[in-house]
Amino acid sequence: MRASLPTGAKPFDFTGTAKEWFGIWIVNLLLSIVTLGIYSAWAKVRSKKYFYNHTYIEGRNFDYHATGKQILIGRLIVIAALIVFQVITAALPILGLLLLLGLLFIFPWLIIRSMIFNARMSSFSNVRFGFVGTVGQAFLTFIVYPILTALTLYTTFPILDRAIKRFSIDNHKLGQARFNMEVGLGPFYKAFFVAIAWVLVVGVIGAVVTGFNFAEFADAMDNADRAPAQAMKVMSLFYLLFFVAFLPAVFLYQALIRNAVYNNTTLEGGHRFASNVTAPKLLWLAVSNTVVVVFTLLLMLPWAQVRMARYLAAHTGFIPGGSMDDFVTQQQEAGGAFGDAYTDLEGIDIGLPI
Amino acid sequence: MGDAPQLPGLRGHAYAARSSFRQPARLITREGGEGLWVDIQNDERAVLGSAHLSELRIDPPLGSAPRKVTFPDGAVFETNDHGAIEALTGRTRGSVLHHYEGFKPRLFGVVAICLAAAWVLWRYGLDIMASIAIVFTPPAVIEQIDAGSMQTIDFTMAAPSQLSDAQKADVEKVYRRLVRSLPQDVQNKHSFDLLFRDVPGMGPNAFALPGGTMVMTDAFVKEFPEPDVMAGVLGHEIGHVAEQHGLKRLYRSLSTYILIAFLAGDVGPILEDIVLEGNVLLSLSFSRAQESAADEYGLALSNEAGFDPAGLKVFFEKLSEKYGDQQPAQWTSTHPSSAARVKAIDAFIDGL
Repeated sequence: MRASLPTGAKPFDFTGTAKEWFGIWIVNLLLSIVTLGIYSAWAKVRSKKYFYNHTYIEGRNFDYHATGKQILIGRLIVIAALIVFQVITAALPILGLLLLLGLLFIFPWLIIRSMIFNARMSSFSNVRFGFVGTVGQAFLTFIVYPILTALTLYTTFPILDRAIKRFSIDNHKLGQARFNMEVGLGPFYKAFFVAIAWVLVVGVIGAVVTGFNFAEFADAMDNADRAPAQAMKVMSLFYLLFFVAFLPAVFLYQALIRNAVYNNTTLEGGHRFASNVTAPKLLWLAVSNTVVVVFTLLLMLPWAQVRMARYLAAHTGFIPGGSMDDFVTQQQEAGGAFGDAYTDLEGIDIGLPI
Repeated sequence: MGDAPQLPGLRGHAYAARSSFRQPARLITREGGEGLWVDIQNDERAVLGSAHLSELRIDPPLGSAPRKVTFPDGAVFETNDHGAIEALTGRTRGSVLHHYEGFKPRLFGVVAICLAAAWVLWRYGLDIMASIAIVFTPPAVIEQIDAGSMQTIDFTMAAPSQLSDAQKADVEKVYRRLVRSLPQDVQNKHSFDLLFRDVPGMGPNAFALPGGTMVMTDAFVKEFPEPDVMAGVLGHEIGHVAEQHGLKRLYRSLSTYILIAFLAGDVGPILEDIVLEGNVLLSLSFSRAQESAADEYGLALSNEAGFDPAGLKVFFEKLSEKYGDQQPAQWTSTHPSSAARVKAIDAFIDGL
């Protein structure tokens, strides 16, 4: 992990402030509550726009163009489908099972619609993003591969993870320029093994130091009624070990993968990306954010979000192949995918952790 | 912009229509026809866009983000000169919102109203929403929910009842006497079928489905053959049906889930779990309130039908005797503790 971004990299810059975002967030929340959630569609647009507008590369910012109405329509469609599905499952369990099977095919379609919508509603320097993935690809990536991965007892998890990242990145365009991720399986397996090594080493050391063992744990759990104090003790020890052994491993994996993905992603025209986040810092941010937010009854959430956005932006860079103006001029000549009216799109937006 | 030539107009940057080339530019207004004409001019004085003020799309203010003005042909002008744009647009709906979002002491008020509104929504709003949804649910669907649930129960956990016809007839007699004591409109609204099943995993128990189907386990009939006890428990379950607790809970959990998903947005992986767990704990208190309400309804009903309301008490006392003090802490439970319920029953009997 390099301490600084490579030379020539233009760092992303997040200029939002906790104070400003807090005001927007709390007003969003209030209006959403008093309108029984209806305003939340507009609130979502405002939130997204705030974070996009305040993210700059070289003085040019991102923008989000969806309207609250689009998001509301998309949500109403999803809710209506959800209610119909719930009622049918409750009333006719057998038909519900069939529907569940149908969902396997609807889900990839929803993912594609949602990614197309999000991409087209986003722009950088007046150039819209685009998404060209197909339902077939989504079906493979999100239904077939996960099943195969489960069959190999998750030893092939890095392959699945790479397939998901590849699906997401390679199908995105900025204007007419395609994104492309060229990462071998090496970095993915390396991150995977580093994370597992952490779990094993810390888990074993922790078990030796604290004298925790699973037989005792199972025994205490079985007799929780008779000796609740003992069960409590073993249980809290278990949670402590869990947090020390697993949580850092997750962030270790995420940091390594993020760097590997960004450092090997290109945008047609000789442009590259860079990332140098570190696991300890990510872990520290996530844990301290959670503690502060919980102890302030969610009121410090905007502060935590801004803090995270700042860190991620500062450790992400764009390395233009030529000058920034050349890049955008090429987009200008390519034409086609600019700010046309996309108002006919329904705002289906299912959050995917990509 | 320090060394840019000082030309009149509002300074910023512009993109010509369908272009991503960003260039320094000015926004210039002039009188034209009815009202104002607005031009974008770059530093070479070339006009990149031109339109009537009313045709411009001016994005509402959002924090300190640059203001963006989009012309009908797609040309875009952005500037950080917030004051000048506001002078151009005057007071709009967006600027009122922006005004209230400002980080001023007034925001404390917004926070307070927000917390109060969240509480009111959780306490009353969700129930109102659930009641409205119940009104719009066709009775056929509710009946079908009962039939579907029975299919699932029969498939997964229940066996046909081993009770004799005489035993069943005894229960039926108690049950019908209770149902006849209900107000006529409640009687008509629900099916009030009584079914018997052998459910070994459930012990002595009775439960009601949302549409009014009542299920009694064999173990219950064998352990509590006394009509008063039976009336107490059946009355309690009839209370759940008459007050539509099942449907309310279904709609409530559905709408809370949707609300949390929409309101919380992406709070991050660890926090999301905390919020959802917190919701589960809170909804348990809702479930306990339903149980107490059903107890009260059942007591009044069995009293009305001529049974001894103390029957329900016998049931709880026997349960406590059998299962001792293995009961979990109140706040982690869907039901109030037996001791609390017995106390409430005593209070009810005293009040008769």
